[in-house]
Amino acid sequence: MFFMLPFIFVLKISLAEPIMAIPPYTALLEWGDSLLPSIRASLESYLFLFSDSLYIKAYLSSLKIAIISTILTLIIGYSIAYSVAKAPTRWRGVLLMLVILPFWTSFLIRVYAWIGILKTEGLLNLALMSIGIIDKPLIIMNTDLAVYIGIVYSYLPFMILPLYANLEKMDMSLLEAAADLGCRPFKTFWTVTIPLSIPGILAGCFLVFIPVMGEFVIPDLLGGTKTLMIGKVLWTEFFYNRDWPVASAVAIILLALLVVPIMLYQKSQEKAIS
Amino acid sequence: MSELHSVNPWLDPSQKPYIQIENVTKKFGDFTAIDNLNLDIYKNEFFSLLGPSGCGKTTLLRMLAGFEKVTNGRILLDGEDISEIPPHLRPINMMFQSYALFPHMTVEKNIAFGLKQDNLPPNEINQRVEEMLQLVELTDFAKRKPNQLSGGQSQRVALARSLAKRPKLLLLDEPLGALDKRLREQTQFELMDIQEKLEVTFVIVTHDQEEAMTVSSRIGVMDSGNLIQVATPTEIYEAPVNKDVADFIGDVNILRGIYKGQNDVGTQLHSDDSDSIVFATQEVGASTGDEMWFAIRPEKLEISKKKPTDQYNILNGRIEDIAYGGSFSTYHVRLDNGRILKAIRANRVRTEEHHLTWEDEVYLHWAPHSAVVLLS
Repeated sequence: MFFMLPFIFVLKISLAEPIMAIPPYTALLEWGDSLLPSIRASLESYLFLFSDSLYIKAYLSSLKIAIISTILTLIIGYSIAYSVAKAPTRWRGVLLMLVILPFWTSFLIRVYAWIGILKTEGLLNLALMSIGIIDKPLIIMNTDLAVYIGIVYSYLPFMILPLYANLEKMDMSLLEAAADLGCRPFKTFWTVTIPLSIPGILAGCFLVFIPVMGEFVIPDLLGGTKTLMIGKVLWTEFFYNRDWPVASAVAIILLALLVVPIMLYQKSQEKAIS
Repeated sequence: MSELHSVNPWLDPSQKPYIQIENVTKKFGDFTAIDNLNLDIYKNEFFSLLGPSGCGKTTLLRMLAGFEKVTNGRILLDGEDISEIPPHLRPINMMFQSYALFPHMTVEKNIAFGLKQDNLPPNEINQRVEEMLQLVELTDFAKRKPNQLSGGQSQRVALARSLAKRPKLLLLDEPLGALDKRLREQTQFELMDIQEKLEVTFVIVTHDQEEAMTVSSRIGVMDSGNLIQVATPTEIYEAPVNKDVADFIGDVNILRGIYKGQNDVGTQLHSDDSDSIVFATQEVGASTGDEMWFAIRPEKLEISKKKPTDQYNILNGRIEDIAYGGSFSTYHVRLDNGRILKAIRANRVRTEEHHLTWEDEVYLHWAPHSAVVLLS
């Protein structure tokens, strides 16, 4: 119910029309002379979304960024989770602590810190130039690359933790059994380790993919004007254009798009339990 | 079984051992798990490594499989030094204590796993899997996942998987440990049949002495990283080399004695526990006054209320406890000095009058060849 209430509220706004008022949208139900209120719903906001290619492009671009960054996070997160799970027991606690440590500072501050690192006269460029690898600064800030760096950095712990939980409890004798039966270590990884860590991979990917789809802070701060993400569009509609119904419609469609992976995620969790 | 074992290759010096463990030492940091161990195992043997937990038997098995590297010494299989060969290249397979079945694969796929690594043609793989399923009588379960199997079935899948590649040597780590007693006894015989049928050399690790006695051609008793005795089950039971082995295998009464010399009956001892002289037919090299021990198995002690006619090997005391075991009864007899000995008597007559009961004064007597004299 707690979950549904804001959703219903947003749905209601998305069906209204924008007006200059407080709140800046028309009421859904109009109390006229009759006993029953008449419903004044309008699909105009939705139609508007499909008429302007900006929105569709933003959805597709968000999807692309979310997919690519989920894959990057998975590759990096898997290697980290695997190394931590394989580390001697006394080291694991410390290593895991290091993964969680960034959470001790605000998310916003951490993203701002990346500006300091990535900007033209930032730490990265200064370091690379001082050791002579490059002679003029790399342009990373305000590009898609900066967005990917920011997303992978911020969401890495969400990938590592479920993967670690899965890999850590894996029965080591299974790997020995595979070796014993003549399987080379690399092949064992693909035929035994990876299939058995699928629940962890799915959990990590959904935990990254779903919030990244709607991510707004990272593309806004690190990305350039060309970086199009639906979260950013939503923010603009809401605060700059003050078009609440369109902003709500954007959110509803985003939710509709995310319901599919959310349901897949829940199904995979149920399967993992049974 | 008997045919295989009546040929005792370890007694024939012309026989070449199949597995040679030469001066093998294994250290984990400062801890010595295996201490300069030598052992020869022959083809088609069913060899048991027996010992208390922490004695190094599992480490030795894992070195044979290749999961642990030898610190010193070498291991030869069929004349070839395998000490440096990684586990996936050794012609040895292992059946794990936990079975280690791949949970994401069906029974069939588990058994086929090793064969696929050898890139055998698919029809040959199928044929071999079929053979293995028949061998362990699990043909109807081919499509099941491991979590849909009972403990006994999992055990058989694990066995089938480890035998599918027709290894030169099969290692079994506590293979029956997770099964209940009845199933374990049944499976012991199945294991022996399979071993005989496939003519594979088995090395099994167990802490269950009964299991070792039942299945083995020979037993190696280990303690603190050393082999204490390597012999057939009968020898281990009837002629243990020291008190530890005697005590570890089966029930035993161990009494202390002082060497008095030899006479025509055998070794003569004096024991604080007995008023009479103690004779044992076994000859020992010792001098008068040496401390030694004699071990008598409970079933070799005769218990009766009448004083034996012989003048030697007599202990007397009171019955403190009787454990009725159906086919036999175990009597706990307290000697005058407080020591408690065990005697077992078969319950041969169904309507036997229980003429032995608690607090009865009884005599324990044994034949001179029934006790083993131990020097340490």
